[in-house]
Amino acid sequence: MPMAHTATPQERTGGLTATEHKLANGLRVVLSEDRLTPVAAVCLWYDVGSRHEVPGRTGLAHLFEHLMFQGSAQVKGNGHFELVQGAGGSLNGTTSFERTNYFETMPAHQVELALWLEADRMGTLLTALDEESMENQRDVVKNERRQRYDNVPYGTAFERLVAKIYPEGHPYHHTPIGSMADLDAASLEDAREFFRTYYAPGNAVLAVVGDIDSAQTLAWIEKYFGSIPPHDGKQPPRDGALDGIIGTELRETLHEDVPSRALMAAYRLPQDGTRAADAADLALTALGGGESSRLHNRLVRRDRTAVAASFGMMRLAGAPSLGWLDVKTSGEARIPEIEAAVEEELTRFAQEGPTPEEMERAQAQLEREWLDRLATVGGRADELCKYAVLFGDPQLALTAVRRILEITPEEVREVAAAWLRRDNRGVLVYEPTTAAAEADHDDSEGAQR
Amino acid sequence: MTDAISPTMDLHPRPAGGEPKPWAFPAPERSTLANGLTVLRSHRPGQQVIAVEVNLLAPLTAEPAGQEGIATIMARALSEGTDKLDAEEFAAELERCGATLDAYADHPGIRVSLEVPASRLVKALGLLADALRAPAFPEHEIDRLVHNRLDEIPHELANPARRAAMALSAALFPADHRMSRPRQGTAESVRRIDAKAVRAFYDAHVRPSSTTAVVVGDLTGVDLDAALADTLGVWQAEPAVPFTIPPVTADDTGRVVIVDRPGSVQTQLLLGRVGTDRHDRVWPAQQLGTYCLGGTLTSRLDRVLREEKGYTYGVRATAQVLYSAADGTGLSLLAIHGSVASDVTGPALADLWQVLRTLAEEGLTDEERDLAVQNLVGVAPLRYETAAAVANTLADQVEQELPDDFQAQLYQRLAETGTVEASAAAVNAFPANRLVTVLVGDREQIEGPVRELGIGEVTVLSDGDGDGDGAGETEGAAADEV
Repeated sequence: MPMAHTATPQERTGGLTATEHKLANGLRVVLSEDRLTPVAAVCLWYDVGSRHEVPGRTGLAHLFEHLMFQGSAQVKGNGHFELVQGAGGSLNGTTSFERTNYFETMPAHQVELALWLEADRMGTLLTALDEESMENQRDVVKNERRQRYDNVPYGTAFERLVAKIYPEGHPYHHTPIGSMADLDAASLEDAREFFRTYYAPGNAVLAVVGDIDSAQTLAWIEKYFGSIPPHDGKQPPRDGALDGIIGTELRETLHEDVPSRALMAAYRLPQDGTRAADAADLALTALGGGESSRLHNRLVRRDRTAVAASFGMMRLAGAPSLGWLDVKTSGEARIPEIEAAVEEELTRFAQEGPTPEEMERAQAQLEREWLDRLATVGGRADELCKYAVLFGDPQLALTAVRRILEITPEEVREVAAAWLRRDNRGVLVYEPTTAAAEADHDDSEGAQR
Repeated sequence: MTDAISPTMDLHPRPAGGEPKPWAFPAPERSTLANGLTVLRSHRPGQQVIAVEVNLLAPLTAEPAGQEGIATIMARALSEGTDKLDAEEFAAELERCGATLDAYADHPGIRVSLEVPASRLVKALGLLADALRAPAFPEHEIDRLVHNRLDEIPHELANPARRAAMALSAALFPADHRMSRPRQGTAESVRRIDAKAVRAFYDAHVRPSSTTAVVVGDLTGVDLDAALADTLGVWQAEPAVPFTIPPVTADDTGRVVIVDRPGSVQTQLLLGRVGTDRHDRVWPAQQLGTYCLGGTLTSRLDRVLREEKGYTYGVRATAQVLYSAADGTGLSLLAIHGSVASDVTGPALADLWQVLRTLAEEGLTDEERDLAVQNLVGVAPLRYETAAAVANTLADQVEQELPDDFQAQLYQRLAETGTVEASAAAVNAFPANRLVTVLVGDREQIEGPVRELGIGEVTVLSDGDGDGDGAGETEGAAADEV
């Protein structure tokens, strides 16, 4: 077989191993054998997400992801779903800021089918893509937007905060779901051009994990993907790097038909792939990651001003990560007293850092979350793809926990002091209205954004 | 259509697939501790996060009149301090183990779920045992949980799917039956709960002899017998008086309930009625039929409503056991649910009814039945990859008074079920004229078109008429799926 494979030595960490290979057309392949259960995951990451979208076409990456399930040269209509499910597999695709992923988890004896299906659409999608699918999936995605964001209390908070902390024109200023107006504006030609630009073998990483024979799997990958022509039309995404903290608090109060007052905030945090990002994850876990966190103890248990208080991290590799604070008030509690308490806790944490017990708890929680992701072949395949696509090295997945366990309390304190500041956040305050008329007004404003 | 820019690739015929490798749903090992507590265990190599699933036989019907929601408050209060640790210390110790502990109350009883890395299992089992054996139920923590629950209710009412579920329960079941009212109580009933009442409920219903613990995961190097003897085995209490759920009949006369939510951009649909539990011989056929109707986006409902018309992000048909008993008197909720754009609510319902009528007239095709069997049987090794998934099903079987090998046998029975049986079961489960339809949406936009459909008497409720309930719900915003 004419291949250009460059296998790297196996690294063994906690039973997880991975080998890397590359086809002549540029497709990168990561394989990981695990024979304990007769299942295997096929996971394909394309290095394209909403950050690659151009003005006026927000939501296109995600809409396009839907079109990938509408058939290709040898797969009719919804055949991709039917064939995988008929083989006892499960499947989906998701779109985020930084990547689009497609995955099939299969009974081990059906892995070849999943590879054939992924290759068929990578190589021939445009022979099947038509106006009918485009119109249909545009409506489906608009209903997805309504169901997940527009018809849900506080449903647009995330996109509003993202728009605040990543400025106008920044590639992360908008979220993957996009706006209704842009979804309406997307044309079939836009979709074709998107495919030609981004759906190239050289812009993808394929991971196959589970009960597989690596040599056989590699031979199948070469057979099905090997003849897909390389192409190289991709432009790098606009630079997402931002210069440190925001420098000012960006604030908005919304009067909407929501069930309670809420304080939400988004902080810029260090980019993923750095020690500072791991330290930030630990800081947010200690502050708001569980039932023993500082904000939960303060607001929910002691002050009783909140029904729920959490602080979580969305890691981003191509822009500052995002820290997401979410407090829903209890009873008649008001936002200023909650804000003052949050500020007090963040300030104290920035001065004193985590206690040894808090460090131990935060590390134990993040370790368990990691083990949860590794509990399925699909989870492992996704992590290998992530590190290959975003950081150029799938082997980094194998040492991710170790890196978190190496962080010191002082690093956690430092990251909190440097980033968890009022002048480095966007704030959204919700004040409930009961009048439906006012809610209508707010909705229409939202739709015009 | 050709694409001038890209040259073509070599096309190969679709591969046939290899020989399936044997897989069977795990057979648990069953034992009883000296105190009467039942243990089911299953060793799953490679599963480093151990799942412990505990069933407490404290059904919602056991709640004292006027104190509905007390089972939920008690379940949550189990982790609010013990005879050794106060509430904050308990939460901290759990998280030091990297563990999660969740508890919720449903019709058949209370479930407590522990997940913990194998290396810290023994320590976490100790905490779990203390929570069950010696909960402190401090007055100020119970008071806080009551207020917390009262705060949650408006959030649940605001959620269209939960609001619809509440309206359906109220419509289907007689007002005096527990089944008709929110699982986690109403604001009125929750307000009446205090520490003394929680203690009384615990004393009456939580005993080792009526408790089952399911332990699943990679148990290599774990002396589970010793760990159980030192933890759950220490718990001592008299056996509980057995409790049975009174029978209930549901009114599935075809009719429509609109919960008015002015300005809604979508209408939440929930069509439901009741069926039998898993003891019924028809269960495998009904499972196949329900899958063919609305199991996935290539099932009949989504083929029309989503993939042809674009009215929805997805509509599903499901059968969810409400409670189950060995004598076959149990119930399940048969439902069709999803949301559609407000302005196409009428046409979407018309299409949905047409799908049901066509099903009743023509039945399923052999191809549909085959695909359903291949999927439902074939996905078993995927579905049960994690310890938590296995533990959950084993605990369900115990809770539903099914044999430990029910799931294992079910795969055989699915494979043996033919198209005729699956068709009949689907038609019987979802008859077009015996469904209660709940619509949460903008009355002004939807009432007229819905009345025109003639699918039954239409009642309109204002959005305020409700009281709160909860099933799990997650909110994700960073990634959008197909």
